[in-house]
Amino acid sequence: MKTAQALELGDRRLLICLGPGGVGKTTLSAALALNAAIGGRTVDVMTVDPAPRLLDALGLTAGDSTMQTVSLTGLGAPRGARLRALKLDPKATFDLLIERHAPSASAREAILANRIYRNLSGALAGVADYMAIEKLLELSSDTSTGLIVLDTPPAREALDFLDAPRRMLELLGSRAVTLLSAGRSVLRGGFSMIDLAARAVLTAFDRLTGLHLLGDVQAFVASFDGMYAGFADRAAQAQALIRDPRTLVVLVTTAEAERVDQAVEFIEALSKLGLMLGAVAVNRMMAPLPDEAAIADADLPAALKRKLKRNLDDFAALRQRESSALDRLRASIPAGTRLIAAPDLGHEPRRLADLAALARSLRVVDSDEGEKECC
Amino acid sequence: MTLPRLIFVTGKGGTGKSTVSAALATALARRRPTTLADLDGRHAAIRLVGAVAHDTGAAKKNGAKNSTESAAALDVITITPHGELETFIERIVPLRAVSRRMLQSRTFGYVTTALPGLEAFLVLERLRQLAGQAALKDRFVAIDAPATGHALELLAVAGGIRNLAPAGTLNRLSSAVEEFLIDRNRFGVIVTVTPEEFALREALEAAGELRDRLNIGCVGAVLNCVPPALFTAAEIAKLRRHEGHARLADRRHESAEFARHARQALERAGIAVAELPMLYAATLGAREVATLSRRLAIEMIIQ
Repeated sequence: MKTAQALELGDRRLLICLGPGGVGKTTLSAALALNAAIGGRTVDVMTVDPAPRLLDALGLTAGDSTMQTVSLTGLGAPRGARLRALKLDPKATFDLLIERHAPSASAREAILANRIYRNLSGALAGVADYMAIEKLLELSSDTSTGLIVLDTPPAREALDFLDAPRRMLELLGSRAVTLLSAGRSVLRGGFSMIDLAARAVLTAFDRLTGLHLLGDVQAFVASFDGMYAGFADRAAQAQALIRDPRTLVVLVTTAEAERVDQAVEFIEALSKLGLMLGAVAVNRMMAPLPDEAAIADADLPAALKRKLKRNLDDFAALRQRESSALDRLRASIPAGTRLIAAPDLGHEPRRLADLAALARSLRVVDSDEGEKECC
Repeated sequence: MTLPRLIFVTGKGGTGKSTVSAALATALARRRPTTLADLDGRHAAIRLVGAVAHDTGAAKKNGAKNSTESAAALDVITITPHGELETFIERIVPLRAVSRRMLQSRTFGYVTTALPGLEAFLVLERLRQLAGQAALKDRFVAIDAPATGHALELLAVAGGIRNLAPAGTLNRLSSAVEEFLIDRNRFGVIVTVTPEEFALREALEAAGELRDRLNIGCVGAVLNCVPPALFTAAEIAKLRRHEGHARLADRRHESAEFARHARQALERAGIAVAELPMLYAATLGAREVATLSRRLAIEMIIQ
């Protein structure tokens, strides 16, 4: 192991784990959170993954979307350390947001009952992302929390998550919104021919599809009228939080060709957003292979020796596959970005101690010498 | 396994959806002309069969024939939500100038974004059409679908749309799409699973959702990456003093054991299981997919 802490958190207050689905992002987020808590910090970890995996590993009740405290007993955590875990419920968070920002009780009721809102808040991709960020703001205002670890939904694109506040604002503040809510006043000017044409086609679309949604969309948008400032304010805060120097963005991947492709896309997307990538964590790295010579020297039946040799060759092939994927990843990482590796446990962490062990065994993959030098 | 015209391959992230759908399409293509469709937006399955991805439009025009030996009758297409929306708008607004204007309008973009599930629904409608064409021409369609969570949301969209649109084109389409999804001859799901606890759990949950909530047929599970057994428990016991090799042997043994357990659990849940071996190869490309496809043909009795 090169360093005691492969991921140096320093005075970071927020750790965002991003990455493609199926790479163990949730597990790694939990491990990092637990490790920080064992190190004495007060930590909240939030997952937005619909499956209750994280809570499972942490020994918490699945299906409960309130903040739950994880027992650190027996893990050697100092007094005052704390770990809490939360599973995000996007719909409930959105409802809360509406309640907070709605100018009046009747406006609130109108929104909550609106057909578009009910579907939008439950089904529209992107709302979960936005709500995760909203919840994050809420957590970050709790001064008793030293570090927040955020596990993000498995996204096709990193932009989906980090860009959510901006997109939400764009939707609510767009010309479209003004246009749709303007009703008859459109005819009195202030709108271009293109807007008028757009309105005409929308009306046609509405009629042809049978959705009859235009009225609902208008009502929805109009009901947000008095809330725009509140939303804009939250979104600006979220943007600032994500870009805060005390926020660390960690991209989680595995050393498999397809995941590496996705990781490289994430890296490009982050840089387009102007976000600093703090570290890349490669999960489920194979352990170094045992020595082939040891087989010949061993006092074992010849048939078993042949099997050992075959098994070694098999795993060597997998390791070769892994190391070419890793080489490609390394070549795509911006200079100075830390590349860390988490070992393959061979099974999912079942207990808290497994998670703690996973975090302890994180190590830095040296960019020059390759991982051969490690361990 | 009785195969429907269109097979929708989903599973937990990392369980080999793309590899399995590529192998499945390759296996099917040896019997009947087959279309491999990428719904994932990443073209991974298409790359694995050694073809080049085309977008929906291009594929429609060119037929996008693939050239690998194993897949003489295999063509590939990609299906994107936005592409389907374009096709739909062009269909309901036959005047090209108008439909193009709609699609270019930012306003329209916002509204369609706000219409929950519209694009997803149109993707399902496209699958229905593909299956219909496949039935007419005695073809198969294999879909490299998104991971389980997204896939189940996608499949549940048809009912939602019918509730949203009380009349009109979409309402008519939604009934047709719902009928299609529950028709065992036209549509079925294959769930990919690896010998890992969470992958198994997710596969069982997905199969349960399909059966109980959506009434959609689950063709079976493909248990992927099963290590060919090599060591007996007695042999592993002998390795105690050879730590590194013992760990490696143990690893393989445990994985093989879990695969056995997974198979039993799936079968107990009434899910047919086809097994694919772990390929200990330094690369995973067209050749490996061809190997897997032959095995899959035997396991699934593709005739």
